[in-house]
Amino acid sequence: MANTTSPRVASPAPAGAGVRRVYRKRKFSHRFRQDWPLLAMTLPAVVQLSLFFYYPSLYNVIAFMDYSPFRSVWDNPIVGFTWFQMLFADDQFWLALGNTLKFATAQLLFVFPLSITLALLMHGMVSSRLRYTFQSIVYLPYFFSWVLVVVIFTQVLGPNGLFSQWALSLGADRLDITRSADSFLFLAWMQWTWKDAGWGMIIFLAALASINPNLYEAAAVDGASRARRLWHITLPGIRPVIVLLVILQLGQILSVGFEQYLVQRTQVGWSSTEVLDTFVYFKTFGPGALSESYGTAAGLFKGVIGLILILVANNVAHRLGEQGIYRKS
Amino acid sequence: MTAITTPRRNGSRRRAAWDEEPSPFAKFTKAAFLTAYAAAVIIPIWTIIVTSLSTEDALTDAGGNMVFLPTDLSLQAYKVVLGGGEFTSSLLYTAQITAIGTAVSMVITIGAAYGLSRPGTLFHRPLLMLILLTFLFQPGIVPSFLVVKNLGLLNTFWALILPMSFNAFNLIVLRAFFMNSVPRELIDAARIDGAGEFRTLFRIVLPMSKAILAVIALFYAVFYWNIYFQAVLLTPSLDEQPIQVLLQRAILTTTGLPGQDAAMADLRAAGQEVAPDTSIKMAVVICTILPIVIMYPFIQKHFSKAVITGAVKG
Repeated sequence: MANTTSPRVASPAPAGAGVRRVYRKRKFSHRFRQDWPLLAMTLPAVVQLSLFFYYPSLYNVIAFMDYSPFRSVWDNPIVGFTWFQMLFADDQFWLALGNTLKFATAQLLFVFPLSITLALLMHGMVSSRLRYTFQSIVYLPYFFSWVLVVVIFTQVLGPNGLFSQWALSLGADRLDITRSADSFLFLAWMQWTWKDAGWGMIIFLAALASINPNLYEAAAVDGASRARRLWHITLPGIRPVIVLLVILQLGQILSVGFEQYLVQRTQVGWSSTEVLDTFVYFKTFGPGALSESYGTAAGLFKGVIGLILILVANNVAHRLGEQGIYRKS
Repeated sequence: MTAITTPRRNGSRRRAAWDEEPSPFAKFTKAAFLTAYAAAVIIPIWTIIVTSLSTEDALTDAGGNMVFLPTDLSLQAYKVVLGGGEFTSSLLYTAQITAIGTAVSMVITIGAAYGLSRPGTLFHRPLLMLILLTFLFQPGIVPSFLVVKNLGLLNTFWALILPMSFNAFNLIVLRAFFMNSVPRELIDAARIDGAGEFRTLFRIVLPMSKAILAVIALFYAVFYWNIYFQAVLLTPSLDEQPIQVLLQRAILTTTGLPGQDAAMADLRAAGQEVAPDTSIKMAVVICTILPIVIMYPFIQKHFSKAVITGAVKG
């Protein structure tokens, strides 16, 4: 959105703008005759979004109804905010919300800075071959599924895993980290780091590469030390990217990843792995499930809070003079 | 927007004259940190590879479950996994999902990216808004499930493909590339020569965008290859299940290995030793990783470009 400067100017087109710029004066039928192939190409995406984004989005109205799969949607009695009242009185919901916020904060505080650190260290590597090799290695786990990551962790850190074997042969006890509810946050942190921290640096590396090297040279000539160059050139240089990513993270704060918790639920126990998404899933499809309306209400709560967060965060970014994710146009 | 693979300092890999050499301590700390991180990524994968190739004896020597140092290697586990049976058919099924899903996604994404690459065309802004709104809101699991059910897709192959077949982020990346990196003059020239939009797309724009198309196709392919929850939710009654579902069942639950009996019986009939359970499981893990690892080196060098285009233009 940021870069779609509207070329629909009524005044004479700027030099080199080409023939297309005089659209405004043309009639609809003219424009359609000229542009229908582009519309036809966009059609599959529009159909896909209508069916699988807008239709389900509207289907959220059942959060305000007493839904039954045996009635057509509009025959369901409207119950107002009853489901939401139940939701806010549900201890399990608050537990899920608390865990979600805890995980999201931990990701922001302990994974994100690690990516920046990795990127800074990588950027300082002089040998480009070494850089390339290192990147190839640390990007790889990003492409693994959560099932795969959890399987790998179980095989290495689990009670029958590699490290437990080593511990046993040294006379120590088996590791219990993959099954312990108390240390789940630490386990989850290791998994996020292993899977995503390497990939997370890719965007910082790009930002670092776009800093003008002459700035460093000038600062060095003026006597700025390594640390001062980092503080006064490097960090301001990557600040827009950091702000952008923090905003995106804030918008996603209530979707901290779902499969990671779903897959480890039986191993670790539900109470420390319950996040909003698993709450919705098990309240709707699990044993002892309530009405679909209840899960929908919880999901809608999540969606609306996410929407508000992303708009607020973006607004704050604008006030701080950053570009954010979109500009008011 | 320099890609990180281009050497930073005047193309030379040497340290610039003004840049002082870091202290030995700083150098050591950096190297230790990076090495430790890379080792933490590699060691788990390494031990899984070695275990998948180990015999019963090697497993016992190593302490029962995982092997770190290769001693007694054999390919028996892979013969079991790939020799017919549930794992083999699941791998083929997942490959099928991946191939068809990626094709569908690419058609949708390329079409929309090109269709929306020229500001000022009919309905350009409303259509773009329609797509960008998907960044702000998520419809939720339950309504999405109910819609798939209403459309009659529940427990069909297409339930794994259609609902997730379009990713707005990939669209933004590709659209930004079409807008900024394909010269306008070429498209105008094609128009003057009488080429329609479809011909322009196929003959001029797509051949110029091979690298970015490869990256986006990889993203989609990885997504489909990794499908897990969609299968649990939307196709629980199908006989065929994606490999991630089987992997989860075989290793993270106690149900044990699903039907590889036929392949094992074949091996026994041939008078060969059957691989231990752990090796078979690890062989499944490797078979799940391998397709990703094979694709990846060809495409890795274009990653940064794709991610940056998306981030800057989104």
